[in-house]
Amino acid sequence: MKIVVCIKQVPETNNVKIDPVTHNLDRRGLAGVMNPFDKNAVELALNLKDTTGAEVALLTMGPDDYAESVREGMAMGADSGYLLSDRAFAGADTLATGYVIAQALKKIGDADLILFGRQAVDADTGQVGPIVAEFLNQPQITYAASLRMSGPNEVTAERLLEDTKQTLVAQLPAVVSVRSELNTPRYPTPRNIQLSFEKPLTVWHHDDLDLDDTRLGQSGSPTVVTKVYAPEPVKRELTPLTGTPSEAASQLIKALKEHQLI
Amino acid sequence: MPSTTAAAEKLLLQMVDDYTEREISPQDMPMDKAGDFPAGFIQKLTNTGFLGIMLPQEFGGAGFGPEVTADVLNHIARGNASTAVTLEGHFKTIDQILKYGTPALQKALLPSATDRIFAFSMTEASGGSNPMGIGSTATREGDHWVITGDKIMITNGGLAQVYCVLVKTAPKELSVFVVDQDMPGFSFGKREDFLGLKGTPVGEIVMDHIIVDDDHLLGKVGDGGIIGDSAHDDARILMGAVLTGIMEHDLKIATDYAKERKAGDTPLTDLQVTHRKVADIAMRKETTKLLYQKAAQLKAAGQPYSEEAAMAKAHGSRAAVSAGDDTLQILAGYGYSREYPVEHLIRDARAMEIAEGTVEKMRSAIAKAEFNK
Repeated sequence: MKIVVCIKQVPETNNVKIDPVTHNLDRRGLAGVMNPFDKNAVELALNLKDTTGAEVALLTMGPDDYAESVREGMAMGADSGYLLSDRAFAGADTLATGYVIAQALKKIGDADLILFGRQAVDADTGQVGPIVAEFLNQPQITYAASLRMSGPNEVTAERLLEDTKQTLVAQLPAVVSVRSELNTPRYPTPRNIQLSFEKPLTVWHHDDLDLDDTRLGQSGSPTVVTKVYAPEPVKRELTPLTGTPSEAASQLIKALKEHQLI
Repeated sequence: MPSTTAAAEKLLLQMVDDYTEREISPQDMPMDKAGDFPAGFIQKLTNTGFLGIMLPQEFGGAGFGPEVTADVLNHIARGNASTAVTLEGHFKTIDQILKYGTPALQKALLPSATDRIFAFSMTEASGGSNPMGIGSTATREGDHWVITGDKIMITNGGLAQVYCVLVKTAPKELSVFVVDQDMPGFSFGKREDFLGLKGTPVGEIVMDHIIVDDDHLLGKVGDGGIIGDSAHDDARILMGAVLTGIMEHDLKIATDYAKERKAGDTPLTDLQVTHRKVADIAMRKETTKLLYQKAAQLKAAGQPYSEEAAMAKAHGSRAAVSAGDDTLQILAGYGYSREYPVEHLIRDARAMEIAEGTVEKMRSAIAKAEFNK
């Protein structure tokens, strides 16, 4: 079994700033760390490795220093890593990112399970996993809060949404994005940190992949960020319910009827 | 791209910061109140591989060098000094086995240093800073040695399973042997109730005719003084790092508080009296950091570092007590309250004016080194 975990390096939390000109995240001068949700995906892969002997590879796209997060994942226990790095990939939105990652996954080949964190904490879109699943034409399960091998070629996951839980079964190969409720990621041990530098980390540039240049980078991204802002809180009118509980209940029913809600 | 070593060290410190924030810092106050590590704390630290950080890879460790090892203890001490001091006691002992142990002893013993804590013991009721005052002995009997005596005030005493012990092999001759808690004749004595570093066990061992072979001797017979000094040197670098961490903790508390608190209508950050105290804490922290890092750098380069190590500890320990005192004064009643960590940071720092050689002894060592130049 081969598992590929797609990870992202994000700015250390609480330090995120927006570039006033491009309206994109300003990552300059910020320490990069592995996206916390991606650590849950790595931990899931490593648990499956422990129980099934699966081979675990990591995949990321970004500048050279994104290798740090790949090394961290390898220090946690992953066997190998891939870094997709090229100026041509810069400025990509989720669609252009998903396209390059999908092409890289095709080149890696034979991945039975492709894992993502539910979303990255810098941009919070949660879109790349589903986009990759579409490009690969594979079944996808998002927001998995648990996952188990329910057959030799099948996974069962509990999908946790805001107000509902779903139990989904997918045939492999499949794409799954995971929630933090899934597990507690292990710490990389000091020894494994050292040994991770002996594991293979492959860097692929533009020419190493079969790519349609019109789908790459900023020019290949249909998303245009015009403004990033915190929405103003909506001021709502409050009508206090007064009197005894019975009187308050009558007032509430009257108000609901007035608003044609009941 | 950074070198492999630099990248690994960065990743290590990142992991240490993460671990400290999530696993160690939350235990800082409970540890001080309870006077011990919480259940499972040391086991988790062990399982995460902390005991093997500086142990060479050939023995199952991570093989990180002296500089980043000291930085690790610095970062841990920002969250809790006791945890860092327990590791300091372990690392300085491993260092002596690496420097002076026979290959056979290293091969037999060091692989277990990733999951067993080691300790170095010199002090006895009759002698601390005066090693010739000790009463423990190792007597040659046939092809082995018989060790008898009591050792007290051992960092990690009672927690550690392996002990390097300074003993007399002749009336004026000191030697160091390695004993294991599983050896017949080994037992634990009382645990000290110290003022600070409440999480770090400090205790006694009793050796009643423990039999060891020549491989358990570090260096040669009579090398005890040299090995003891070496252990002190290695420990003092790490203590400088721990003291820096304590002062960083002080500085964070002092600045966070000053940014929120007002005296009347004036924010504390606008008062010159606050400026002076905060600046003094920052300067003390930074000078101690430079001293321990210089000593660690010299050690990594294979150059003499004894004087610099003594400076790191002598300067750092008083600096940290003073930094704690200034922090306490900024927080006033909250600083004096046992509900907040400041007062225990002073107690923690105070230990290091005594442990691994008193500051008075440090100053003599520094002065002698200067006279000899």
